[in-house]
Amino acid sequence: MSEVTSSRGARALLGGFFGALVLFLYLPIAILAIFSFNDGDVSFPLQGFTTEWYRRFLSNPLLVTALERSAIVALISSVIAVALGVLASFVLVRRRFLGRSAVSALLFSPLVVPYLVFGISLLVVFTAFDRFLIDVTGYTIPLGLHAVVIGHVVVSLPYTVLTIMPLLERLSIGLEEAAQDLGAGPWQRFRRVTLPLLTPALVSSFLIAFTLSFDEYAIASFLSGTQATWPVYLFAQLRVPSQLPQVVAVSSVILLASLLLVLAAEVARQVAARRYGSGFAPRTIA
Amino acid sequence: MPVGFIAAYSVGAVGIFPTDAGVLSLEDWRRFLGGGSIYLGLFWKSVRISLTVSVVVVVLAYPVGYFLALCVRKRKYVFLLLIIAPFLTSYLLRVLAWKVILGDSGVLNTFLVWGGVRSPGDPVTWLLHSQFAVMLVLAYVWVPFVALPIFVSLDNLDRSLLEAAGDLGASRWRTFLRVTLPFSVPGVVAAFVFVFIPTIGEFVTPLLVGGTSGYMYGNAINDLFTRGLDWQTGSVLALFLLGVVAGLMAIFGRFVQLRSVAA
Repeated sequence: MSEVTSSRGARALLGGFFGALVLFLYLPIAILAIFSFNDGDVSFPLQGFTTEWYRRFLSNPLLVTALERSAIVALISSVIAVALGVLASFVLVRRRFLGRSAVSALLFSPLVVPYLVFGISLLVVFTAFDRFLIDVTGYTIPLGLHAVVIGHVVVSLPYTVLTIMPLLERLSIGLEEAAQDLGAGPWQRFRRVTLPLLTPALVSSFLIAFTLSFDEYAIASFLSGTQATWPVYLFAQLRVPSQLPQVVAVSSVILLASLLLVLAAEVARQVAARRYGSGFAPRTIA
Repeated sequence: MPVGFIAAYSVGAVGIFPTDAGVLSLEDWRRFLGGGSIYLGLFWKSVRISLTVSVVVVVLAYPVGYFLALCVRKRKYVFLLLIIAPFLTSYLLRVLAWKVILGDSGVLNTFLVWGGVRSPGDPVTWLLHSQFAVMLVLAYVWVPFVALPIFVSLDNLDRSLLEAAGDLGASRWRTFLRVTLPFSVPGVVAAFVFVFIPTIGEFVTPLLVGGTSGYMYGNAINDLFTRGLDWQTGSVLALFLLGVVAGLMAIFGRFVQLRSVAA
């Protein structure tokens, strides 16, 4: 087969190119990790091994608070995005209705709208709503984490739907019909038959939504108000050279953690593939 | 949920104006589109940067997609994951890594000094805070993302077509040009669009590594909202960008199968 697509020399060349690209992709990340153990500022020559930066960031309350905020936002928004994703997938797969294509176009539009534009439109909406509240009730809800959660739900929803929908499409409706014949009600059918079968897709779509939210800067920067999430905090710190080594240390931990998460999502997919036969599981790399 | 999204949009278009002057006016639009606006020039500069990045990224990713889809027989998905994984890690951190590499006392300049290419007091300054830096970092950030649609379109190619071309006496090069390449056009276009759209609205990367010469259209929007507090002009700029993106999707939408993003 591959004799048709490439000669041996061309294959070696392409393989070499592939290797070079992998190196290009991982080298900067590796450099960042090396500096996190450097006993000095973030520049060569290296000045000896230290774990000082790791200790210091753990005792930095602002940094830890920002991390906690991001974890909370990511957790809440991805749970909501997965729940709504299941709902939307069901509606799009099982129901035929007028305006179905319009709904799906709207649902997927965050994929192609620049986050900058999306962030400022939400900012405008929240500000207008806040003005309205002050005028009517005298109370005000300032921008904050709730706004970030809403923004993140909307941008991660297309990814969860795209992960869940293909699996749902391939699930035989016969299984649910069989459950119905055996006397299961709609809720019982969903809970005992459909949901367990969807679990792998739910897990991987949750992981995708979580990583997306945890790392999202553009939207959070407009909506977080005074409650800076981790990327917003990180961005502010990038201008302070003395903070850089600490930031680099946390960054390495997070890079490692997110790589592990990605691997976990992939393993979930593989498990699904083994359970239902190959060619069944959706590929869920976002 | 979609209702919330419509609301966000209609208000984004309508609700902006009442918060400011209270009158609906096209004055800002006229000022923006008419001659002499610095923003329109900035927009074309951003288009140039984004186009360059998109082309470079597709050219880099195509051989990799080809290699993985058509030359590798075992474990191709593992290799694909290897390419894609960086995309799922922190965006800011990957930009930060390049800041460390390209800076005046950064990794590259240090090596240049060690190698005797440059004297210690004379670093290569155009590495950071330049258009070059913006393009390099954007390309770095988006390559993994682009490899996917190209890989998918090549992987779905019917192999017997290639064998048929070979049996009919076409050389490998000719087979590639006449069969493989045309079949992968949708994937390439999708990849192109999916890099162009986010990079044209980019403001984080230019802010970190661009300096003044790397200032882009997205930075102008960001500044109008966060510093200048001229939301009205900012919204005009943002809506213009949205219009351009919508236009692109209308033209290339049929190539862009959403499935290929999450496939």
